[in-house]
Amino acid sequence: MKNLSTIDLERLEKLSRISCSSEEEEDILQSLQKVIEYMELLQEVDTEGDSPTSHVLGPLMQNILRKDVEEKSLSREEFFENVPDVVAGMVKVPPVLKGEE
Amino acid sequence: MDLHLHSAYELHHLFLSGKVSAEEIATHFLQRIEKLDPQLQSFLTVFPEKTLEKAKNLDQRRKKGEPLGKMAAVPVAIKDNMHIKGEITTCASKFLQNYRAPFSATAVRLMEEEDAFVIGKTNLDEFAMGSSNENSAFFSSKNPWDLSCSPGGSSGGSAAAVGGRLSLLATGSDTGGSIRQPASLCGVYGFKPTYGRVSRYGLVAFGSSLDQIGPIGTSCLDCAMMMETIGAFCKRDATSLNLPQESYLEDLPKDLKGKVIGVPWNFLELLGENELKRFKETIEKFKSLGATIEEVDLRLLKYSIAVYYILATAEASTNLARFDGIRFGQRSKEAKNLQEVYDLSRKEGFGREVKKRIMLGTYVLSSGFKHAYYQKAQKVRTLIIQAFEKAFESCDFIAIPTTVKSAFTLSSIADPLEMYLQDIFTISANLAGLPALSMPCGFDEENRPLGVQLLGPQLHDVQVLQNGYAFENAYPEFRKVSPLFSKEAL
Repeated sequence: MKNLSTIDLERLEKLSRISCSSEEEEDILQSLQKVIEYMELLQEVDTEGDSPTSHVLGPLMQNILRKDVEEKSLSREEFFENVPDVVAGMVKVPPVLKGEE
Repeated sequence: MDLHLHSAYELHHLFLSGKVSAEEIATHFLQRIEKLDPQLQSFLTVFPEKTLEKAKNLDQRRKKGEPLGKMAAVPVAIKDNMHIKGEITTCASKFLQNYRAPFSATAVRLMEEEDAFVIGKTNLDEFAMGSSNENSAFFSSKNPWDLSCSPGGSSGGSAAAVGGRLSLLATGSDTGGSIRQPASLCGVYGFKPTYGRVSRYGLVAFGSSLDQIGPIGTSCLDCAMMMETIGAFCKRDATSLNLPQESYLEDLPKDLKGKVIGVPWNFLELLGENELKRFKETIEKFKSLGATIEEVDLRLLKYSIAVYYILATAEASTNLARFDGIRFGQRSKEAKNLQEVYDLSRKEGFGREVKKRIMLGTYVLSSGFKHAYYQKAQKVRTLIIQAFEKAFESCDFIAIPTTVKSAFTLSSIADPLEMYLQDIFTISANLAGLPALSMPCGFDEENRPLGVQLLGPQLHDVQVLQNGYAFENAYPEFRKVSPLFSKEAL
């Protein structure tokens, strides 16, 4: 069994690019702890020699390649309709490099 | 008029035969939504103008004798995590509250081409993460049998809309039970097809190896009708099954003679005494229709919740990485640099359950834990698939309850694990990619509906729905409409 200290919430926030508000933190940490403890249940299953499943269709599914021909796709105008901040036909974001403004 | 007391299948034929006009149908259901949805809160958006325009067009085409689609004049509600070109797709999240879909989901497009009325979009748990509808960023839908109860989730809006007969069909998406559990709690039919049967193109992804779109309807025939239309190969979904569309509505069986139904008795210990008794009564009904009952061993399913919450959250944590605030959706006004655009947009845009699941998925995939959790779960998934394969060697279908209990009161489940355990009977069909139907099979002491599931081997979608119909046809009393919503006059 893991204890509370083994979940490093700050690290998870960083990895998942989510800041939690201070009122959420305690609840999220406790929920994660509870669920992860429950997941320990799987350790009692013997999976020695078993292979992992990443999709369920087995032989029904094969790699599919499409022909290399151009097709109509989303237009620029349609794409930009949902972009939060646009300048001169480009997606505007805040400074990426330090020291710029 | 009592148009809402018909099934979608019947209504379609009433329209084709000229007994009812498309405009009458459209008006009837739009009025029901306007009058009754303030109680049920099942819809997020309604499209009255478009629906009426389509109805007039259909009436003209019928008069001229022009060909009409397989779903002509059938009202269909769309779960709001599927795109309709030009309309808002919110996923019941603040993150996407202004997102306008630039294209339609394949399932939606196919139904529009078959002349269905796409009447509106229904509420859900945010990004389909939840079993109660309480995780919607906007409001919780209510259960048509008892307005103080949850309609279930995540497709709770769709199930409530059909249960209250504000629409006769709706789409749901099912990652761990999100079609079947709400269908069961609202006393309607819900079908999760074989993984890959219905295109996921235009469905906002949650757990890509588990997600499947399917129908919620007032009858197996309604579900069958939608499946004939949307169960089609789609080149825009890499996991779409390249198989011909199937006929569901021909040669419907009247009984279950010659069918073997497997029951995993040793997995049903979770049921209370009353629930077990009622499940046994349902099994007796299958027997009386000619089915043979065989015990199957699915003890491994007790691990399905743990496997699911590792795999589904891992997949969700990567799928939801696209919500970065750059190209669409929420962008924080507080952000001063790029890093803050990500962190703060996600902080402001996502609700608490979504944050939990992304962080859980991130945890099980993070270095040092991936082997113990993610890979272990993938291996146990293999064992669960094998257990089903073995079980289906000795039976045609497997019957299990849909839920442990009937509908629960809103905000009565606070413990996250208890909420996750709501899906214990539904999750395994997703883990193994199996077709699974939930159908009403009676009522409990409080007159709340109960559901039973029929699971089949992969690709046996037609057989599952058809044999479900044999049960439905023999016990029409379970198709009863909630007395709160069955009245003819509004």
